[in-house]
Amino acid sequence: MAKTTYYVPIGPIHPALKEPIRVEAEVEGEKIVKVDVKRGFAHRGIEYMGMKRNAIQTLYLSERICGICSISHPYAFVIGSEKALGIEAPPRAQYIRTIIAELERIHSHILWLGVIAHEIGFDPLLFWTWKGREKVLDILEAITGNRINYSMYMIGGVRRDLKESHIKALRDMITYYWEFTEHMKEVFLSDPVYKARTRGVAQLSKEMALKFNVVGPTARAAGLRMDIRQDIPYDAYADMDIKAVVPQDIVGEARGDAYDITMVRLYEIEQSLDIIEFCLDNLPEGKILAIPNYVALLNKIKKTEGEAIGAHEAPRGEVIHYFKYDGKRDGPAVWKVIAPSYNNINSWAPLLLGAEVADIPVVVAYIDPCMCCNDRVAVVKDSSGRILDYSYLHKKAVEKTRKLEKELGVRK
Amino acid sequence: MTLTAEEILERLKEKLGDAILNYEIKEYKMGVKRPRTYQEIWMEINKDAFRKAVEAIFEIDYPHLHFIAGEDVGEVIKMIYSFGVFHSHPWGEVSIVMKLDLPKSNLVLPTITDLMIGAETNEREIREMLGIEFEGLKNKRHLFLPDDWPEGKYPWRRDEYGVEDMIKHTHKSVKEIRKQRGGQNG
Repeated sequence: MAKTTYYVPIGPIHPALKEPIRVEAEVEGEKIVKVDVKRGFAHRGIEYMGMKRNAIQTLYLSERICGICSISHPYAFVIGSEKALGIEAPPRAQYIRTIIAELERIHSHILWLGVIAHEIGFDPLLFWTWKGREKVLDILEAITGNRINYSMYMIGGVRRDLKESHIKALRDMITYYWEFTEHMKEVFLSDPVYKARTRGVAQLSKEMALKFNVVGPTARAAGLRMDIRQDIPYDAYADMDIKAVVPQDIVGEARGDAYDITMVRLYEIEQSLDIIEFCLDNLPEGKILAIPNYVALLNKIKKTEGEAIGAHEAPRGEVIHYFKYDGKRDGPAVWKVIAPSYNNINSWAPLLLGAEVADIPVVVAYIDPCMCCNDRVAVVKDSSGRILDYSYLHKKAVEKTRKLEKELGVRK
Repeated sequence: MTLTAEEILERLKEKLGDAILNYEIKEYKMGVKRPRTYQEIWMEINKDAFRKAVEAIFEIDYPHLHFIAGEDVGEVIKMIYSFGVFHSHPWGEVSIVMKLDLPKSNLVLPTITDLMIGAETNEREIREMLGIEFEGLKNKRHLFLPDDWPEGKYPWRRDEYGVEDMIKHTHKSVKEIRKQRGGQNG
């Protein structure tokens, strides 16, 4: 008897991923019967390098852990270091840090919405959302001087102050994004094809979310009210009453699928706008760095012993840093970093089991929203000799959308 | 219903007794306009009571595993486990940081993947980076290191099992692979 299953490898280089990872699926007909996820293709030993440098160098190194949300790791780093060293950042710096972090959440969420639209086959939607994202990138560039690696945070404060012109630009941006998000909500949440394509795909229950230790929007879409900004607040978040965005508060129930994740991300953009507005309204005056002299800071680090955990809610979930300063060196003696994808990728295998081939791009993209734009071909033949590559998978995804569109009467 | 750090510590003391070698409740003040404090529990336990301690935490509330880390400090490896209980409550999450000393002569710990499957990633990483064996861990494949990583080399170790001479070993291993494959490019 002929072999009934065929094998579909995705990655390590794949357009839906920011980092190389390999998903190996065994497919029977249209259903996935076996999945294996392999990672470690981009392990750069950053923790090891960080333990050999001083704390300020390590801070900038931590910014390079993630290319898209490059503020998440420095944020956790400065929170943890300040806790370990007993330094308190000035109030104004705390508010500026919060504003930058929320700006980043907005751009990261919009980026993800574009990616998921592309995976489903709505390319004009990808272009439109990414065009809307430019606005927040421009503001970030105006404030920090950089579009992606901001080099903004410092142990005990921030390196650049907010000027009047920035505050005005931020207020304009808030008005712009309220309108833009309203429009995005309409496009994503009420479109029947988008709904048909994402409802029930990548469905994670609350129990599974707990067991697989997932974090961030992935956990919240499953109905877990988990958010570091709410559970153990820090900086300006501690002055607000932040509530985790969960689908049950919006539509009454949480199903934990790709549609719910879209909803959580869209409402989180609005939440970020509220947070930025609060910070601008209550922005304290004063200095922005506790210890402006970096030599003095390194000397203090060299004399202080301590260990602490720094946690920050990044756009994709919580980032945790553990530090130990041993009082002999000016850098961390132990440094352990946990990024959100570290936990969230755990959920891929159970989600892919039983899913359709056309849904692989959606499941793979749903937790990890970055594009690396590297479309390489892997030549795989199925039992009938047909070649399966990434473009084939993408074509299948688009075909499914088109079929649904016809069924729902959106397209003739 | 959430419990405060003191109440959680009381419960852990009841369950573990002498196995808690020392403990500390760390307090941090957060916020500018409405400063509030939150607390973390840091404790060191006897390594034999590890499984019991984890079960005690799971009885209090299904936790969220923050991380598992380890530090090579000479004769022993200091393991650090951090759990967050009562997450999903505003200002309610309490981190329980548990430390234990593992002597290098016996680097074995029971797994916690039967209680929380998501811990598998962390255990696999610690296993390959520090050489700690987790009893009952089903998937023992490398997580980050390549499959042909030389055996007995652990990147986070600071002793003779560390990676000081890693490059030499790696090249040796590639050569061996090429030899095995009969002169083809490996």
